[in-house]
Amino acid sequence: MTTSEKKRVINRVKAMYPLRAKVDESYQRSQEAIKAGKPTVWAMLNFCYGDPILKAMDIEVVYPENYGAALAAAGVAREYLDRSDAEGFPTHLCGYSRANFGYAARLVELGGQPPPEAPMGGMPRPLFLLSSVAVCDARYKWFQALGRYLDVPVWTLESPLPGIREFQLEGCYEEMVKLSIKHLREFVSFVEQAVGRKTDWDRLDEIVNLMMEINRVSHEVNELRKAKPCPMHSRDFWSAMSPALFLLGDLKESLQLYRNLYDEVAERVKNGISAIPEEKYRLVFAELPPWHSLDLFDRLAERGWNFVIESFGYHPPPPVDLSHVSDPLERIARYSLQRMVANYKDALQKNVVAGADVYIYLKYVSEWKCDGAFLHPLVSCRSASTHLPHLANILMERLKVPSLIVEGDIVDLRLFNPQDALARAEPFEEAMEHYRKLRREAGFDW
Amino acid sequence: MAAKGLSRAEEVYHDRTRRVKELQAEGKKVVGYPCVYVPVELLAALDLVPYRICGEMREPVTEADRVLPASFCPIMRSCLDCALKGKHHFLDGFVAVHASDPQEKTARIWQSYTTLPYFHFIDMPGTIRPEAVEYFASQLKGLATTLESLSGKKLSTESLNRAIDSYNQQRSLVQSLFQLTRPSPPLITGCEIVKVIKAVMSLPVDEGNQLLAQVIEEVKERKQKPSAKRARLLLWGSTTDDVDVMSVLEADANVVFSEDCAGYRPYRGKVATAGDKLMALADHYLSEITCARTFIQNIAAPTKKDYQRDLESRYGYLKSIIADWKIDGVVLLLVRYCDPFAFEVPAVKDYFANLGVPATYIEYDYTTGSLAPMRTRVEAFLETID
Repeated sequence: MTTSEKKRVINRVKAMYPLRAKVDESYQRSQEAIKAGKPTVWAMLNFCYGDPILKAMDIEVVYPENYGAALAAAGVAREYLDRSDAEGFPTHLCGYSRANFGYAARLVELGGQPPPEAPMGGMPRPLFLLSSVAVCDARYKWFQALGRYLDVPVWTLESPLPGIREFQLEGCYEEMVKLSIKHLREFVSFVEQAVGRKTDWDRLDEIVNLMMEINRVSHEVNELRKAKPCPMHSRDFWSAMSPALFLLGDLKESLQLYRNLYDEVAERVKNGISAIPEEKYRLVFAELPPWHSLDLFDRLAERGWNFVIESFGYHPPPPVDLSHVSDPLERIARYSLQRMVANYKDALQKNVVAGADVYIYLKYVSEWKCDGAFLHPLVSCRSASTHLPHLANILMERLKVPSLIVEGDIVDLRLFNPQDALARAEPFEEAMEHYRKLRREAGFDW
Repeated sequence: MAAKGLSRAEEVYHDRTRRVKELQAEGKKVVGYPCVYVPVELLAALDLVPYRICGEMREPVTEADRVLPASFCPIMRSCLDCALKGKHHFLDGFVAVHASDPQEKTARIWQSYTTLPYFHFIDMPGTIRPEAVEYFASQLKGLATTLESLSGKKLSTESLNRAIDSYNQQRSLVQSLFQLTRPSPPLITGCEIVKVIKAVMSLPVDEGNQLLAQVIEEVKERKQKPSAKRARLLLWGSTTDDVDVMSVLEADANVVFSEDCAGYRPYRGKVATAGDKLMALADHYLSEITCARTFIQNIAAPTKKDYQRDLESRYGYLKSIIADWKIDGVVLLLVRYCDPFAFEVPAVKDYFANLGVPATYIEYDYTTGSLAPMRTRVEAFLETID
């Protein structure tokens, strides 16, 4: 059966499509922006830390991480990966970065014009690069390494991340906030110099409020997914997440689209409509999906596997009331920090000291009532993989929930074998059944 | 008679825990740390003995496989593997620092699977901006607080000053040690330096300083000098703390400078002795240690960066090494999956190319099995620079 003949099994949420369309629109807009002389910036996913400032300054932002995924999904990453190898970058580096090095080398070769073969018109030459130390080393070392191809400055956003126990020390959180506010203020100055105009603080204030509201609604959508059967599959989450995660396009429009998404998902919950024909197993997915092989989820849906929650790093932080904070930079700082530290207290209470990214999956599995975890360690992404063996151990030890570990890669599709994953589905179903019994015997409620 | 100088270094290198266990028996507390970014001055000031945790190349990784993926920094995997096998059970505590993603992740796993009485993780910013230095200083304050609880002592200005002075003296001594490789032939081999530095990192600061002083004196006076080989090499990389690796590099060449975390890198510069000491430590560790993990750049204007100036700001310190140590070639030696350094490879090669110095990149997996292919690569490189 060819890909086009494969049956689509997942019952996609209709309100997701306009949100997904905003990704393509953002590339289109950045192309138009550069033609109109509007500044464009390449940025790392910065968890709503630098994005609102760029947005307030009317700067178009493209995300090479996303573009790496887009290259993979379009099946054209190979050429850029090969070019990166030829440029001398070690082959074990982040697949997104390697694709981007190859792309940047081509960009230079073509005098700054996006390569004609690049999907969605490519990424235009940036005014500057915005990297982030959050999550992994690659996300700032990569942009530093781009200096070989792009003579533009890099601003590296700090992202404090103390240990769960150390966070409890007196003054720790306030020092994180202090760093973040000072740092953002310096970043604002940098951006103002780069674009040659002053920040519109009222606009920034409005953007920050919209950003928080969009993410709050997105959070509420995910809360609805606790319902049985789960009304919205992980694929819809991944398709709909970008406008909230990256503040794409018009934020008022995004807010309305997320409200529409909420309404449709709520309606499904009310009517007992599932995201797949027959929900036999509820699963959590960690962390980054195989963008190039998403059909796998349809095949698993045929078997009754419903992916009900996923990818912690892409999720909005738990809502927090910051209405008393008048400085928009302080609101950004506290909101951004919330993503990691919101769960620190609970994690410590439950003695999960391995980080928020491990604790959160315990929470997901127990609150979304998952029967199994599909863990996807990536050969070229250590930060999204390192905690997975420990996560598998702790899910089994604390919750008697088994994990299926399927290795792959975010960009290099040769490193992922969907057939192998499917071949392992049946024995894993036996494991899920077995542990379902054990959980019930042990007094768990799922 | 107790061993001195190079013999003593050899002794400690081969039995690294012996001395710290003796000190423990005398009532001292020993705190392990896996990275040179841990400000050991704070430990010493509270009468704790810092002990650098290293990997063990000859120990096959088995236990760490339970908790870490295979495609991961092999040095941190090895360190954790040793911990899970009980090799670090003697420690009274452990301090890790957010120097790299693998260390941050490993620290959290380490804390989850071991039961040391004390554990502290220092968060570390990625840049050297003023607000980042201030934040790092606040993290060091947090470290001091928990170390005070462990030691049962209060950190005094006097004791911190003394510790800073002692470690500054250690930095000066290591800097003097590396002066001994400037002549041709060098007065001391790269293999001997690996043993000395590793021994120093296994001893309390004053004993380490005594050892360094003895080694320097002995090397200056000894009759049997190392011989000049085919080329004088600079080793640039993350950490080369095993003499077997250095032996491969030195089989047919003299490694006269090791710019890595078990070589010169942790001993560059000095901590400022004036002003706020936590700020001085924060500034020194963030700014002076030339690990690839810290983001440095040089921009020409808000919208412009000049690549050559940028290279100079990141690698300028290597220029005088190339000239003063009369380097013929550079080996960029990294363990696989060392992302911060791996991202640097094309840029640092560009820098060496600009200086007219040949450089080769060699990657290995921190096993003895990787030594044979490494030997072939080094031989091939030497042929190109003959």
